[in-house]
Amino acid sequence: METLALIETLDRDGLPRHVLRVPQWPVRIGRAIDCDLVLDDPHVAAHHATLEMHDDGVHVVPAPSLNGVRLGRAAIAPGSTARLPASALLTLGATTLRVRQPGEVLAPEQRFLDLHQYERRHAVTLLLLVAFAAVWKGFDLWLTTVPGQQGSALAWAYLATPAGLILWCAAWAIGSMLFQRRFAFWAHLYIALTWLMAGTVVETVTAQLAFAFSMPALEKLGRIAFVGAMAIMIWRHMGLLLPQRRRAFGIAITSAVVVGGGLLLVDRSVQQQPLVGDLYLGTLSLPGVRVARPVPVDAFVKSAAPLEKTLSHWAKTGDGDGDEDESDGGEEE
Amino acid sequence: MLLNRLFRQPGRLLAALLLGGAALAAWAGATTSNARPSLAPTSPLVKPPAAASAPQQEDEHDDSANLSASARRIYDVGRPRLLQVRTLLRDQDSQASVGSGSLVGSNGLILTNYHVVSQVALEPQRYRLNFQTVDGVSGALQLVAFDVVHDLALVRMAQPPATVAARGTFDFRPQATPLAQGERIFSLGNPLDIGFEVIEGTYNGLVERSFLPQILFSGALNPGMSGGPVLDDRGRIVGVNVATRRDGQNISFLVPAEFAQALIARGANARPITGSVEAEMARQLLVHQQALTTRFTALPWRETKHAHYSVPVPQEDFMRCWGSSNPSESKGLSFERSDCQMDTAIFINESLRTGDIAVRHEVYDGSKLGALRFAQEAGMSFRNERMGRRTHDLTAPKCQEDFVENAGLPMRTVMCLRAYRHLPGLYDVAVLSQSVDAKTEGVQGRFDARGVSFQNALLLARHYLQGFAWKRSP
Repeated sequence: METLALIETLDRDGLPRHVLRVPQWPVRIGRAIDCDLVLDDPHVAAHHATLEMHDDGVHVVPAPSLNGVRLGRAAIAPGSTARLPASALLTLGATTLRVRQPGEVLAPEQRFLDLHQYERRHAVTLLLLVAFAAVWKGFDLWLTTVPGQQGSALAWAYLATPAGLILWCAAWAIGSMLFQRRFAFWAHLYIALTWLMAGTVVETVTAQLAFAFSMPALEKLGRIAFVGAMAIMIWRHMGLLLPQRRRAFGIAITSAVVVGGGLLLVDRSVQQQPLVGDLYLGTLSLPGVRVARPVPVDAFVKSAAPLEKTLSHWAKTGDGDGDEDESDGGEEE
Repeated sequence: MLLNRLFRQPGRLLAALLLGGAALAAWAGATTSNARPSLAPTSPLVKPPAAASAPQQEDEHDDSANLSASARRIYDVGRPRLLQVRTLLRDQDSQASVGSGSLVGSNGLILTNYHVVSQVALEPQRYRLNFQTVDGVSGALQLVAFDVVHDLALVRMAQPPATVAARGTFDFRPQATPLAQGERIFSLGNPLDIGFEVIEGTYNGLVERSFLPQILFSGALNPGMSGGPVLDDRGRIVGVNVATRRDGQNISFLVPAEFAQALIARGANARPITGSVEAEMARQLLVHQQALTTRFTALPWRETKHAHYSVPVPQEDFMRCWGSSNPSESKGLSFERSDCQMDTAIFINESLRTGDIAVRHEVYDGSKLGALRFAQEAGMSFRNERMGRRTHDLTAPKCQEDFVENAGLPMRTVMCLRAYRHLPGLYDVAVLSQSVDAKTEGVQGRFDARGVSFQNALLLARHYLQGFAWKRSP
């Protein structure tokens, strides 16, 4: 028998709960058992509406009812009818129906994100990442502590970061559970570690290069790169939750970074602070790392002469008070 | 500067208390504490903990009958000529701060401290000045002249009462007959707004190693006495109450009378100041910084004992240096530190002191740490230096940085300058320099000068950086 149309009863998630193949027109819809499509919905009348084939296509003809019929968002006035477009959504009481007709243009097939496969494919990389992060964190801890510190204090310091990371990934995995019905912890851990380590490594390397070549701008670039890596990380986390929304998430995160960054720049500019990073390059490295040649004292002092112009301009601008929480110069601590 | 595991000398930096302040709030502070958060303007004075335990030797009261007779005489001389100088809010009669003053010229010319009238001088739209004599006569005052460097000001009664001439004026002790150390002198004032007081004390000569001359007076000065005269036993002015040490007892400071006389000589006939005082204040500070810079750069740096580094440490002609180090059993970075500062800083307002120099260095030994950890620690110490932020008085700092080499020693050097927003032509300069030549040892130095011209800032920075050198091991 030829299928003239397909009427899907959708659940709250928008997924079909029941599908009716239409063998002939008209189709009566309501709560009464003599209807062609029987709805178990107390907000639907016994005979609520009828779908009929007219010359120009399928129409919905509402019967008298308390709650009426909506096509998309528009209510259909009692006594009138409405022609159904492709994949039309009809709302009767609390029930949503989708009517699909032959000849409709289908959306292209979408790639399926198999989280299982995703995790299996990245299993080795993830293992390497975890090992790399563990070594990096250990080295960092060794570097920033002095010999003979209490072991338990070190352990706490060492474990704080992974604990935070686990909580972070678990939170995202709960998100995956909500949208993808899978607690994709490893997939989120892979994303978090990848971008966290990428950001950290770039930041560290640029700081060392900035020292080596006496180019503070490199360190500032590293800071921007770190923020960028964090933005990408969040975007990738979100992409795992709802792959079909990646584009929208990308736009949202980019605008958030642009707006937030812009406000920060304005604020720092008003406070006469450097737009990015610290007042001066704070990284000192091993003597052997230095490539740039030092300048003589006279040349250095002369190179500071242009500061006068900036400072006298600053002295004249900005009427508001600055931060008053500052204490005198550098005499204390 | 090292923050972690830093050995701190307790109470190393202590403050001198200026005696103007909101004296009332000093004792009624429990209920009105918000009115003036810093009721006692402070200026950094360096003081060793050791000195605190070495109290001033009390003079013997051998001839008490005679002394109280002269105190009695001083009281009679001073009573009609002493005034309380009050800073009131422009639109109401609440007093913001109180100090003292003395009649020193015709038509109600009064000598007091600059810091007693600073609010009126800087913000005439918010404050006004009033006087009150011991016997209750009061009226408005006008600012006539000031010497911000020595903290002196001249004010005049706006409408001198007819009786003012009958009060007479204080005379100054001739400079040809200087006081001898140990002589009795008498400080007059109205401490804490309680009432007129005469305080006997001892003249102890000038404070040692002070760039700006100040008389060391052993007597108990209190807030509210600022600007009051200090008299010899014949009732002649020898100084003006200005400050006391919070950490000591009966350690007080007076402005020598010669500066007051100089101010009277040039300001007695001046018209009241109605416009902004900022240009004149900047002019006075520029004269001061020129003298300071010239004197400072003329001095050679002291020899340092380190095996590899020569570090610029100033002579102690007008600075005081304190050293410290961390315990030798430390397993981390060992360091020694030296802090040199001037005793005197010039009061501009409650939140701004200027016109001084500080030099500091830390020598690091990281042999227990190894090269990588030493680089990390040294870098941390370099990074956490504070250069200040934009304030009401100063712009944010703007820095120049590079590798700099002097006498064979390569260093990472940062020089930051800040401009004074209301005092044109004045700058604060900070130079931070750290050696980058060795794997497990190094030196970090910091130089600060406040309230100098841009040219002198560069000159001082150059002078400082040229004090660094690498020494061949002996």
